[in-house]
Amino acid sequence: MLVLGIETSCDETSAALVADGRTVLSNIIATQLELHRKYGGVVPEIAARRHTELIGYVINEALDVGGKTLRDVEAIAVTAKQGLVGSLLVGVAAAKTLSYVLRVPLIGVHHIEGHIFANMLSNPELPLPHVCLTVSGGHTLLVHVQDHCRYELLGGTVDDAAGEAFDKIAKFFDLGFPGGPAIDRLATQGNRKAFHFPRPLLKAKTNYFSFSGLKTAVINAFKHQLAGGEALPLEDIAASFQEAVVDVLVAKTIHAAKERRVSAVGVTGGVSANRRLREVFSEACSAEGINVYFPALSLCTDNAAMIAAAGHARLARGQADDMSLDVIPNVPLEVQHAG
Amino acid sequence: MRVLGIDTSGYANAIGVVDGERVLADFVLETRNESLSRIMLNVDSVLKENGLSIEDIEGFGVGLGPGSWTGIRIGVTVGKMLAYCTGKSIKGISTLEVLAYRARDLQKLVCAIIDAGAGETIYAAFYRFRNNEMHQENDYYVGDIPGLAGLIKEPIVLVADEAPKYRDMILDYMQSNTIEVLQSTPSGAVVALLAAAHLESGERDDTLALAPLYLKESTARAFVNKYKQRAQAAQQG
Repeated sequence: MLVLGIETSCDETSAALVADGRTVLSNIIATQLELHRKYGGVVPEIAARRHTELIGYVINEALDVGGKTLRDVEAIAVTAKQGLVGSLLVGVAAAKTLSYVLRVPLIGVHHIEGHIFANMLSNPELPLPHVCLTVSGGHTLLVHVQDHCRYELLGGTVDDAAGEAFDKIAKFFDLGFPGGPAIDRLATQGNRKAFHFPRPLLKAKTNYFSFSGLKTAVINAFKHQLAGGEALPLEDIAASFQEAVVDVLVAKTIHAAKERRVSAVGVTGGVSANRRLREVFSEACSAEGINVYFPALSLCTDNAAMIAAAGHARLARGQADDMSLDVIPNVPLEVQHAG
Repeated sequence: MRVLGIDTSGYANAIGVVDGERVLADFVLETRNESLSRIMLNVDSVLKENGLSIEDIEGFGVGLGPGSWTGIRIGVTVGKMLAYCTGKSIKGISTLEVLAYRARDLQKLVCAIIDAGAGETIYAAFYRFRNNEMHQENDYYVGDIPGLAGLIKEPIVLVADEAPKYRDMILDYMQSNTIEVLQSTPSGAVVALLAAAHLESGERDDTLALAPLYLKESTARAFVNKYKQRAQAAQQG
């Protein structure tokens, strides 16, 4: 079955063709990074406008690159849940129109479910059940993936998402936007033990994260030097901050995996592209006898291939939406997909 | 030419079908925040009630706004994807022109107004009908009521949703009783009529490039631009 996926939940306009839920024929991602850079974050109205301009081109290119025509498309999957409301509705409006004219099934997908499928798309051998950490600018979430489309929500952040902490630290020290890649680059030249920043909730036996206090601690440590115009050891700060975030993410995920007695963990979302995160996860998991899986870099950040894969799995279970499909900007994964 | 017209720039799904100059359907459904969930169901029911399917439509018209930013994006996205999927052509029409169309027989300068949603700000445009064709005079106006009053130099017909309210507001700023009013809301059939006229003479928009007529930049961008201008002025001063 050939599924056309559409993803416009934040600041990437993406369309993809995925065959049988496994083979990515095309995965076109038009990023709006440049547009939002000067604001140091994603501006919802600007994002929604750009999606409207790009959506047709991106869908057209997904078909071209995939070597298919509209008539070959057998289903439409679209991110309808979790994201910026103005952005989501552009993708859903396009998806509904395609489904209506082509007379093919429509399925609205939860954005996080897409990220969970990104990992299975990249690593078909990823076993079920497993524990999946989705970590990005908007999310830090631990999910027990019991089966395709069967989830148990284990925990998440009580305040900032991990990627959000990266963005805010990068903004404060003027390191660039998005903060994750900027800090990742800078950190390779720094000493991760130069400063010891707090590891919030590291020892707590819960699956919850908190990054707001860490962010404040880092900022407070250098506020006076920065105000006084002193040169700061930015590489060391980046490396030490990153190490604190990574330590917490890895420890919590392994804790959750042991608690659920699974032998595999998946790490997805934009922050899963972070090199140090991958390194520490691999070391720590191997010490615990757990296998760890990451998506291909092209499937880490928001993309439509993962939405098409998730949509395919839902359709295979006989689920589909009708023309009244609407967007839901904020809804937990478990509520939508329990059972 | 059989044309389907859509306008979602207000708080309704306005959907119409015309065959050349003949109106087959003109449907307005108040949707408020259900515009997205209702739009395809409404398109489908308008077509079905007229015994048509989407393949019977030979061209599309879409209201580009100005109006609700979220609202316009739904109509424009649906319109362009309908045209893309069916391989038919599309023409975007200013929603101000759609409103003004209702006053076409009155032989006067027409001023169409749409609420810009931010306090006293409005979108407006002036139109004159010559040889049965609509011609826009000057550029679009975005601003307050006193500013618009300053632009009115001759008797006008004011068309808007809540037209009498705008007349009273304008008359607070000018000595004139030469403002006629006409209530007018976006109509899918008018969008289709205006689009059909363009499409029949070979004038079409680039389907994939079609974008809404916002007339105002986003608040964040406006803020940055203002900041930039101030910085430039400070440098020059």
